[in-house]
Amino acid sequence: MNLALLDIRRNLGRFAGTSFGIALLFTVVLAMAGIYQGLVDDATILLRSVHADLWVVQKGTRGPFADPSRLDPSVEARVASVAGTRRTRSFTYQVLQRDVGARSLRFALVGLSWPDDDGRALPIVQGRAIGSAHGEILVDASLGISVGSTMKLATEELRVVGLTRQMLGSGGDAVVAATLSDAQLIAEDAPPDVVRTERERRAERLRNVDLGRSQPALESLLFDPTWRPPVIASPPVHAVLVEVDGPPRLEEVRAAIATWPDVSVFTTDEQEKLLLDGVVDKPRRQLGLFSLILVITSSVLIAAIVYTMTLDKAHHIAVLKLMGASRGRIAGMVMQQAWLMGVVGYAIAVAIGSEAFPHFPRRVVLTDTSIAMVGALVLLVSTVASMLGVVYALRVDASRALEA
Amino acid sequence: MEALRAEAISKSYGEGETRVSALVDVSLRLERGSVVALLGPSGSGKSTLIKALGLVSVPETGRIWMDDRLVVSDGQSIGSIRDLRRDYLGFVFQRSNLIPFLTARQNVEIACEIGARFDPKKRSMELLEYLDVAHRASALPATLSGGEQQRIAIARALANQPSLILADEPTAALDKQRGRAVMELFRRVAHEQGAAVLVVTHDHRTLDVFDAQHEMEDGRLLH
Repeated sequence: MNLALLDIRRNLGRFAGTSFGIALLFTVVLAMAGIYQGLVDDATILLRSVHADLWVVQKGTRGPFADPSRLDPSVEARVASVAGTRRTRSFTYQVLQRDVGARSLRFALVGLSWPDDDGRALPIVQGRAIGSAHGEILVDASLGISVGSTMKLATEELRVVGLTRQMLGSGGDAVVAATLSDAQLIAEDAPPDVVRTERERRAERLRNVDLGRSQPALESLLFDPTWRPPVIASPPVHAVLVEVDGPPRLEEVRAAIATWPDVSVFTTDEQEKLLLDGVVDKPRRQLGLFSLILVITSSVLIAAIVYTMTLDKAHHIAVLKLMGASRGRIAGMVMQQAWLMGVVGYAIAVAIGSEAFPHFPRRVVLTDTSIAMVGALVLLVSTVASMLGVVYALRVDASRALEA
Repeated sequence: MEALRAEAISKSYGEGETRVSALVDVSLRLERGSVVALLGPSGSGKSTLIKALGLVSVPETGRIWMDDRLVVSDGQSIGSIRDLRRDYLGFVFQRSNLIPFLTARQNVEIACEIGARFDPKKRSMELLEYLDVAHRASALPATLSGGEQQRIAIARALANQPSLILADEPTAALDKQRGRAVMELFRRVAHEQGAAVLVVTHDHRTLDVFDAQHEMEDGRLLH
């Protein structure tokens, strides 16, 4: 006869209410685990989607996601000449916040080395990959923009040709993918006044040196449409992505590029580690501490509830002891109730989480592993929390049964 | 056969000047099949004696035998108290002390399960039928009358065929008619089941039910 179950059956309302309260706490614990997993996924999804073996970035920097990296576009050709390299692509990545229509959108702008890379490796759920060198973009569905609509970025009118799902930058911002040249144009866009001011500044500097004073014609060249030098330097790329001829050649290619004085080279795993250490580390610790507080709160709550339930049953426990009930039976009754409370609370928490988490503004990812880990934690918490009740129950004196 | 033999058992509470002798050299013999009343004013030591004989509070001196087996000697139990209580004793309390979340039948079943001597389902139903409460087998204690509750409590006490049933004022919460019915039930149980029944009572109107009476005063058994 299972006394724990029978007790719960007769006091179902109280048990359900208590379990629901505990479930809400476990829901938050699950959310913390899910938010952390979401952060990791968000941070790495783009990194994994571009399918590169090596990332070549500016010397001394940690790549396009963790650190600003500027490479001369010629680096791509240099990398392509290394033996063992199968494919190279220039890549830009920049987080921008721009007004699009009436909305202010924050997004991660990714430049793809079109036509070699048209974005088909990204998870396109509607529309198609980029089919033109200019004026077409892929956007993540979370931005709420539909296929066929246009976005005016900088001076360019860009048409949305495809939607991706859950394609996010390292900070969780939705990705907008454009051709490299469009991305550079948007990212390096400078208003006409800025350009004019920069030209005037250069003319002024020329007037203040001997060369300018001795050759005034040079100044007119600054403003001559056919001769004037660009005021904004040739836009850099942020990384060069490398695919090698099979894994055995990875180290060979990496070693060759690593000797160059102007670049650093990372494998995708190293990039991922740098990214997680930099972007996710603090939120991970923050979420971990929140989770710890919640787990302690849950334990204290369950302990208090189980202890109170045991107090209520003290007289019956004394009667059972007088009848000769074993310590195992008494402890089992208390412990099983704590476990049941934990398990039912956990099941409700998983159900609530599955329904509610998809509506959260940031991605909450419930993986089988995190669900199993929280489940194991719940069992541990329930066991530890029941100890107070178990100790009390075992100390109940059988003589209490004889008290009127 | 003697269900119980107690020789010169003593029990005291407190120390020094506050020391109170609750039992003083009490000796008692109870034959199987007998129903015996234990009388005395409040504070005379009746409940202390019940606790001592029930191995709830082991006496400091003296010896106790149950079914001719020495179970207590000079303040020490011989064997596990839990096992001795389970194997030799049944208790009936002032209140029925039925477990409220178990049905009448389950209250008897749990005692059978703890005793592990009989099939709990079969034994519990047999006892409920024997005590004429089988029709209330699936009722919860809160829905039973006081008399029915005490019958279930007696069935529970009988679950493991104890040699001694200790009943501490079992009719205190019942009216005269129901109280007498319970006392007669004890007599029937003692005679038919072969257990000795020691009943603490203040109700002198039901003394005709008992085979013998003992009276206590100041921790001593007078006769």
